[in-house]
Amino acid sequence: MKKLLAVFTAALLFAAGCGASGAGPAGNGPSGLVTPPSDVEIVLLGYAGQENDLNLVRDQFSKSGFNVSLNLQPDYASFLTQLEAGNYSFAINGWTTVTGNPDYAVRSLFRSDGDYNRSGIDNPEVDRLIELAASQTPQDYVATYKELENVLVTQNAYIIPLYANLKTQAFNKELLKPGSVRLSKSRSMVWEDVDYADESKRDTQPLQLCQSTSTLTSLDPVKGNDGSINMLNTNMYVRLVNLTDDDKVTSEGSLSYQNVIASGNSDYYFVLRDDINFAKVENREAVDTGERVGAEDVVFSLKRANNKDSVPNHRTYSLHGSMKEMEIVTDISALDSVTESGTDLTLRDALESATPTAIKELTDDKTKVDNAAGVYQVVKVTTNIPFPQVLNYLAHQSAGIVSKSQVEAVNTYDLSAYDVTKDIAYGDQSTITEGATYDNTLYASGPYIALYKNDYEIIFQRNPGYMPSTVHYPKIKTVDMNFIADSDAQLSALRSGEIYALYSVPAGKYDLVTGDPKLSLQEIPSNAVLYMLSNINGSMSDLNLRLALMYTINQEDFLAFYQNKYFRAFTTLSPLVNTGNVLTQDYEKANEYLKAYIESR
Amino acid sequence: MKNDSKKLYEQRENKRRLNAFPAYNSLNLAAGASLGICLFLLFCAFDFKTGALNTALTGVSMVYLAPAVLAFLVALRIKREILLRGKVENSTRRMGFALILFALSFNVFCGVAGFTLINSGEGGRVDKARSVEYTLSFYAALVSISTIVISSFNVFKPYFSGWFFYGIGLLLLISAFYLTAAFLSNKWARDKTVDKRMLPVAVISLLTAVTGNLFALFLGIVIITKIRYSGKSIEWIDITKRLFRNNMSMIGMFVVTFLLSLSVCSVLTFDYSVATDNNYQAMLLGPSLMFPFGTDEFGRCVFTRIVFGARISLIVGVASTALPIVLGGLLGAVAGHYGSKADNVIMRALDVLYAVPGILLAIVIISAFGTNTMNLILALSIGAIPMYARTMRASVLSVSNNEFIEAARACGAKNYQIILKHIVPNSFAPIIVRATLGIGSAALSTSSLSFLGLGVEPHIPEWGNILKTGSKYLEQHPNLAIFPGVAIVLIVLAFNYFGDGLRDALDPKLK
Repeated sequence: MKKLLAVFTAALLFAAGCGASGAGPAGNGPSGLVTPPSDVEIVLLGYAGQENDLNLVRDQFSKSGFNVSLNLQPDYASFLTQLEAGNYSFAINGWTTVTGNPDYAVRSLFRSDGDYNRSGIDNPEVDRLIELAASQTPQDYVATYKELENVLVTQNAYIIPLYANLKTQAFNKELLKPGSVRLSKSRSMVWEDVDYADESKRDTQPLQLCQSTSTLTSLDPVKGNDGSINMLNTNMYVRLVNLTDDDKVTSEGSLSYQNVIASGNSDYYFVLRDDINFAKVENREAVDTGERVGAEDVVFSLKRANNKDSVPNHRTYSLHGSMKEMEIVTDISALDSVTESGTDLTLRDALESATPTAIKELTDDKTKVDNAAGVYQVVKVTTNIPFPQVLNYLAHQSAGIVSKSQVEAVNTYDLSAYDVTKDIAYGDQSTITEGATYDNTLYASGPYIALYKNDYEIIFQRNPGYMPSTVHYPKIKTVDMNFIADSDAQLSALRSGEIYALYSVPAGKYDLVTGDPKLSLQEIPSNAVLYMLSNINGSMSDLNLRLALMYTINQEDFLAFYQNKYFRAFTTLSPLVNTGNVLTQDYEKANEYLKAYIESR
Repeated sequence: MKNDSKKLYEQRENKRRLNAFPAYNSLNLAAGASLGICLFLLFCAFDFKTGALNTALTGVSMVYLAPAVLAFLVALRIKREILLRGKVENSTRRMGFALILFALSFNVFCGVAGFTLINSGEGGRVDKARSVEYTLSFYAALVSISTIVISSFNVFKPYFSGWFFYGIGLLLLISAFYLTAAFLSNKWARDKTVDKRMLPVAVISLLTAVTGNLFALFLGIVIITKIRYSGKSIEWIDITKRLFRNNMSMIGMFVVTFLLSLSVCSVLTFDYSVATDNNYQAMLLGPSLMFPFGTDEFGRCVFTRIVFGARISLIVGVASTALPIVLGGLLGAVAGHYGSKADNVIMRALDVLYAVPGILLAIVIISAFGTNTMNLILALSIGAIPMYARTMRASVLSVSNNEFIEAARACGAKNYQIILKHIVPNSFAPIIVRATLGIGSAALSTSSLSFLGLGVEPHIPEWGNILKTGSKYLEQHPNLAIFPGVAIVLIVLAFNYFGDGLRDALDPKLK
């Protein structure tokens, strides 16, 4: 027994020797960071869809030595509840600038009275810079926005940026003509351009698309601004201007021939085309109403977009708050007395540059319009302050033009006594849902109109009165929007040929699309930015701690995780304005701030 | 006609004679299972598009083909020996050692067959089998060596736990000790008696049981019990012996013990940071020596994650079975013993609980109290209480009518004494069987809940969590789903087979 014990001891010593000479606990790369106080606990808040981003942040903070725990909520609603209760140190937040202009990317998020200012940022300097930049031209606002970014991130770490996203689209290139499927940075999918490779299919084969949400907020453009209706309303209502694929304002494919900014940057003029009629639905077919989309409808639509009390549940008025007046210009001499901003051209010359004939006469009656004879309608929009970015808001889905007569005829309820259970507003999804409630009262000014919907799909048909005999006349007669909730199932549907184009391919599945010979993948940097909100009025009220944590974040890891498809970001402005600001991991700075924090405790 | 019945009789007689030699059956099982695995691997190795064979996988499949052929040949040989001479030659039995070697390639079937062959005692007959101590030592050694083999994969990693070499060294020593114990048991242990010199072996093996080696724990207890009650027949040791005759249940117990031992030893031999820290240089890699099961989307080693995941699965499995056994067992015993009003109140209340689907109840509890391991255990436990209460009540009812209960009462024993001392121990058998089956399903429920995002936090290695990640990459990287899936299947099957074996061993009719 003694012998056995001796052998045992010897062997143990030998093993110990092995251990000593072998690799020691290497840890995970020395971070070189001062050890943070153990009672500092970082709570990361997010919801199920952001699991990956949460994990990346958790990993980086914990590798820097912090105690990190997750507050993972199953859905967005419970996430908001937790956010409002302040149960977080940092909350993952995403923002997409759907209008493509920098003002929208900061105004409601960071102004002290902003609708989406959820962490309670209240800094007069931020407010001042936002207002200053809004009145500036693109050349001038870069410096202002850079200063704003420094206040938001470098000085205060109100937010910690993570990355800017990529917008993707995949389509079946055997079925669809490759050049006809557009992918724009901000604008939703443009249906009227999409064409079949085999043009004989245009009238017989419906274009199969899909979206995840089957419950539509509202088909009234001012009453919704979310994924359930953005693409639908964009294609149902024409706007005064459009955005190009890289977010420049253009009149191409819009209701106006041309848009002009008058000198002073407060007055905006639009000359309207006469070849768009409203469509309505009769016997489940789209028919031309014969009613022209005119300046009266434009003024009506913009006024209701701008007025919070024009409809119940108005969801987009804050986008249009910069507009003061909208009117029809009837005095042609008014166009001759004012020049275009930045040039010496008169407004009339500037507007005429794109009209088919010279402007001889202006009218405020849309039935009298005749472009061929020189009779035009011109709309003037005036803003509260000089604000060139108003054009981006006018290109947004919520500024879609509705029919004055039809909306007034449908919305007969008393606004002050509106009862959601009894009163049926224009654009209510129940009016196009198959069944007892079906009563399609839609009037569409855009290229397509919704015929009917059920739990599985919503069917659209082209507007026969939409710019006929131009290239903008919708190519494919019918569009079938399928409801497929799961993004992986959507991709499967595309691969099996069930749908022809997929707007936004799930991250990490790009190689499935590129590996499929019949599919084509389109990519464009998007305006979506992912960042973290600091709980500045709660657990993260200490500035030094916030800054220390900010400098431990390594955006490179995020880019690597997303196969280097995504981009660095500094604030929500990054995809829109090149300010040159970059956040890089910097342990020296982190150490400095952490030491300051420890000392101040 | 007469010829036919004679032939039939011969067939039956041969079968009966062969059945007396457990090695024959386990050899056939080993041959079949190895061939099955070999064919499956070949199927995986064959690329149906190009018609090419994956060399690495083909090589691995050959590692399974060899023991299949060997086991088949040995089975043929002992069949002949049994039918001609009625015994297995020692030379044939020695072939078992060759089979045991294949256990190193995780061919548990071969290991067990080889061991049964060697262990089958003089002439290979079951009634002359070696002592239970010998069997336990062998299995303990097998578990320990398997743990070493699995842990050694860590040497291919760029860095590993600082305790790695200590851990492996310790395990090597322990394995050597078990083999020595096997040798000593062969010398000193008999059917009902054990030499007192075995006592140190018992003490050391009890100490080594902290590595999670249940076989070592049993070994220690068996030796000590036998020394204490020398020469007496002890019921539970007989049960253990019967349990060891069932191949599948032994393999089940081996897998469970192996996983337990691996989880415990991973404290020393595995590095937790490999399982949780992201590594952006190694995302979504295929299986290799450095990452035997590949890496997930965050570059974490799936193999290490599965090893650490076993901890949670086992802890939750055992705890969420133990808790309802205690609560349910107590309620069931009280209800069964007192009857009438107490029975009605308790059982009807439990019926209400029984009516709520278990997984739904778990989801509700977790949604209400938040996701962590404690809540997970609670959530899974509460739903299982009625099940154990009913089982307990049924056996208590049948036991309470026995004379010895009446005798105890006549002697003036109090109610709680009767319940705890006489009724509960005698009605525990069905509960134990249910429990082993329950652990498997609890592990499965944990995984289901994690898969639904309700188990533990996403970065914590847990089999359901790992499987969830895998499900996202089912098409591009199926290895991410297959390995955790197999692990889940394995633990559930292991507990189920072990439970089956235990039921048979406990059944007095099958003695």
